[in-house]
Order: sequence, then C-alpha cells, then structure tokens
Amino acid sequence: MASQIHANQILDCKGLACPMPIVKTKKAIQVLEAGHVLEVQATDKGSTADIQSWAKNTGHQYLGTVQEGDVLKHYLRKAGPHEAKEEARYPHTITAGELMNKLEKGERMTILDVREPAEYAFHRIPEAKSIPLGELEDRAGELDPAEEIYVVCRTGNRSDLACRQLAGKGYRNVKNVLAGMAGWTGPTESDE
Amino acid sequence: MTTKNKRVAIIASNGGLETAYKVLNIATAAAALDAEVAIFFTFEGLSIIHKDSEQMLQLKPGNEGMAEGFKRANVPSVKELIELAKETGVRMIGCQMTIDVMGLEKEHFIDGIELGGAATFLDYAFDAEVTLNF
Repeated sequence: MASQIHANQILDCKGLACPMPIVKTKKAIQVLEAGHVLEVQATDKGSTADIQSWAKNTGHQYLGTVQEGDVLKHYLRKAGPHEAKEEARYPHTITAGELMNKLEKGERMTILDVREPAEYAFHRIPEAKSIPLGELEDRAGELDPAEEIYVVCRTGNRSDLACRQLAGKGYRNVKNVLAGMAGWTGPTESDE
Repeated sequence: MTTKNKRVAIIASNGGLETAYKVLNIATAAAALDAEVAIFFTFEGLSIIHKDSEQMLQLKPGNEGMAEGFKRANVPSVKELIELAKETGVRMIGCQMTIDVMGLEKEHFIDGIELGGAATFLDYAFDAEVTLNF
C-alpha cells in the first residue's frame, strides 16, 4: 500500500489463536470513541474472515485488511449509537445514481469525501478529494466556492454535517450525496 | 449498533480437553459477537467447571500429540477461557441432577456458576436461534 493508513488505536493480537483476536477486539472497541479507527494486528490466518463476521454482528464497520509479511492489519471503525438511523437535515441532496450520471457526462465538480483516511484509502469514488469531517473546519479553504461540491461519506450522516458546516461558511453550491458510499454502485478506487 | 438480541444455548455433556475447548471457544466468540450465551454442563461436561478441571480434562487417547500444537498456536488455557466467559457475561449452569447422582456439592465447582435443572436451561433455550450440543 502506498500510504500509511491512520488508526486512532492499535491492538496487538499477534501470536493469539481464535477466539482471542475477536474477544480482544470487542474489549478494545468498547473504550474507543465513536467514529475512531482501530487497527487490529493479528497473525491468526482465520482472523480476516472472523473480524468481518464480528463487525457484521456488532454493527461496527470493517474497512479492510492489509497484509505485511505474516501480520494481518485489520481496520475497523467504531459506529456511533445512532449511526445510519439519523435523519439527514441539510435540504440539498443528490442520490448516488444522479451523481454517477453527472460524472459520466463529464461535468466539472468537486467530490468531497469526509470519511476517515482509512475508509478513503480502501474504497472511494475516483478523483474524490479527502478532507475528514474533523478537519473540515480548518481545511474548507481548499475548496473552490464557485464549483459544484458533492459531499460523500458512508451513509450520508457525516456528509450532512459537512454540508451544513460548508453552508455556514458561505458555500452555496453544496449537495449531500445519499446514501453515501453505501449507495454508490459506480466505479471505485483504492490505494492498492 | 446492535439491534436484535442473539441468543446461543450450549449443552456440554462430554468430558475431555477437546470438548472443553469446543464449548469455551464457541461461547466466548459468541459473547464477543454480542450474543447472549448460556452453557448447560451435565454428566462428564461438569468436569469443565470442576475446581480440579486441570487434572480432569485430558486429551483423548491418540490425541496426545495435540498438546504440542496447543502450545504452538498459543491457545489460552481452559481456566483463562472460563474467566473470559465469566467476564463477558456467559451464563454457566451446572446440572443439579447429575451433580446429585455423582455425589458432588456446589463447593466442588468454580465460583460464578449457577445450579439448575433441565427446565432452567430450556426456559432460556426456547428463545435461542442457535443451540449446540458438545
């Protein structure tokens, strides 16, 4: 992988056999802040499948796995208590399908991805610009107010917050992409 | 996050180190997956929660070679897995009837278990999507 994936916390499960990697993962994620990314380092070859099943059953988000030698690095993002349920409140939205049509027509636009860098690294819309929601306050100046800006996250919640933040800064041409990467069926790229 | 309640009901009716691992690995993994877990220990399965489990739980004849493998794979001990199960809220129920038949008392067993009959377990198991028998 070209770039380092940023994790908020690293959990060492190297040398541990099943079921210890998921048992320790559960413990670690309990004390992690919602939205933060956990890197689980394991040598158990079964852990790639297990971590994914674990995430599916606990509602947390599995981002992907990177192998370095014998060590598997699994990336997980802790879900918030109301995630994927909260109503989006920013009024100007566009569906992922409509955005894809615009992209195919070659319209000039900025796609702003406000997810964490680890999420962006594994799976993103080609050409999307990455500014994690937490950095948007400081980095909004990198965006051109004259250009159409389409804001995307995983499910449309963080991007809703981002749209409202940008609107507050005077950006007029901002639309929230629903339902985020979860609704995106077009081409994607990763750091690989 | 988790919306539905998952429930796993396990019957441990055999002895031996192999059984202890099958039961405790599934139980602790299920707890990690946010499931509610209860294990009903009966007949030889009671040796898993006996205070002398270390002496009582041996590998089956022909499986002795696995001892090396357990060490190599850094598999936790049965005692460690039991502690983990307790910590993560796994209910452990010892079968009162078998304990009586074997002439044992609650003091022979580790702390943190409950004693109960078939109905205690079944009352729990009726609502379980996953039932396993080892």
